[in-house]
Amino acid sequence: MKAEYINPFYQATIDVFKLMLDIDVIRDQSKALQEMLGKKEVGVVIEVTGDLTGCILYRFPDHMILEMVKIMSGMEIDTIDSFVTSALGEVSNIISGNAVSSLFNRNYKCDIKPPRILIEDDKPICLDGNQVLRIPLNTDIGKLQIHMALKENIH
Amino acid sequence: MMWKEKYRLGVDKIDEQHEELFRRVSEFVLALRKEGQWEAKLPKVKETMEFMQSYVVTHFNDEEAYQQSIDYTGFEQHREIHEQFKAEVGQFAERFEQEGFAEDLVQQFAGKLMAWLINHVAASDQKIAEYVRTKGEGN
Repeated sequence: MKAEYINPFYQATIDVFKLMLDIDVIRDQSKALQEMLGKKEVGVVIEVTGDLTGCILYRFPDHMILEMVKIMSGMEIDTIDSFVTSALGEVSNIISGNAVSSLFNRNYKCDIKPPRILIEDDKPICLDGNQVLRIPLNTDIGKLQIHMALKENIH
Repeated sequence: MMWKEKYRLGVDKIDEQHEELFRRVSEFVLALRKEGQWEAKLPKVKETMEFMQSYVVTHFNDEEAYQQSIDYTGFEQHREIHEQFKAEVGQFAERFEQEGFAEDLVQQFAGKLMAWLINHVAASDQKIAEYVRTKGEGN
């Protein structure tokens, strides 16, 4: 997969975490990444269409999601419910939207579909059988992962 | 939801409206998340929906008028974001009417609204302030 369309997602994650949560994101060098969602994880899948097709999966540990929503709401949050997953879906949507805008400036015209929430042990079909790039990221409130399976459409 | 000084654009009318939006959405989230029967929370839910549908339009109109007054180059793109948001609030309002303000759906709306508003004020609207600063430096 080309760095040209990987970097916008990485950069958008750094920017959105900084602006919305005041949290710094750095690349993690860890290689031990699982295929399926762990027991204490929630995933958000965003489908990409246009010049690039495929999907992006954002994986967050439970405790990190609760902390993110606590930062946003200013309230103690102890359960992952519709309010929490919807906020998480919107954050992932914003990251992907910003990445797609950045791709547009690099001459890739893409669009995204609304976020879909995955629960433990789920694996999105769009990641099956495709070349998947996994980006582990570190923050002070936990480790997240971005899984990317994007193919370039040849015109 | 905490209002932060860094969100301020330096345009009094717009900043006051942003603060009011933060205050209202905060109250809404607090009301939804507190202990108690769902039925008891419904008046606040309905009040917030009515407020969002009218105040957001007023705010977006004022913000867009300001952008035009300064020849903001990102005006069309920003207006498109406003239109999409108005359409989404409208779709939720329609579903609330049809599905009888189901708790799960309202919680979904609140989560999305909170994250959308923070990003819009902390990121999208800051581009307007950045434009004004850059334009000032160019003069």
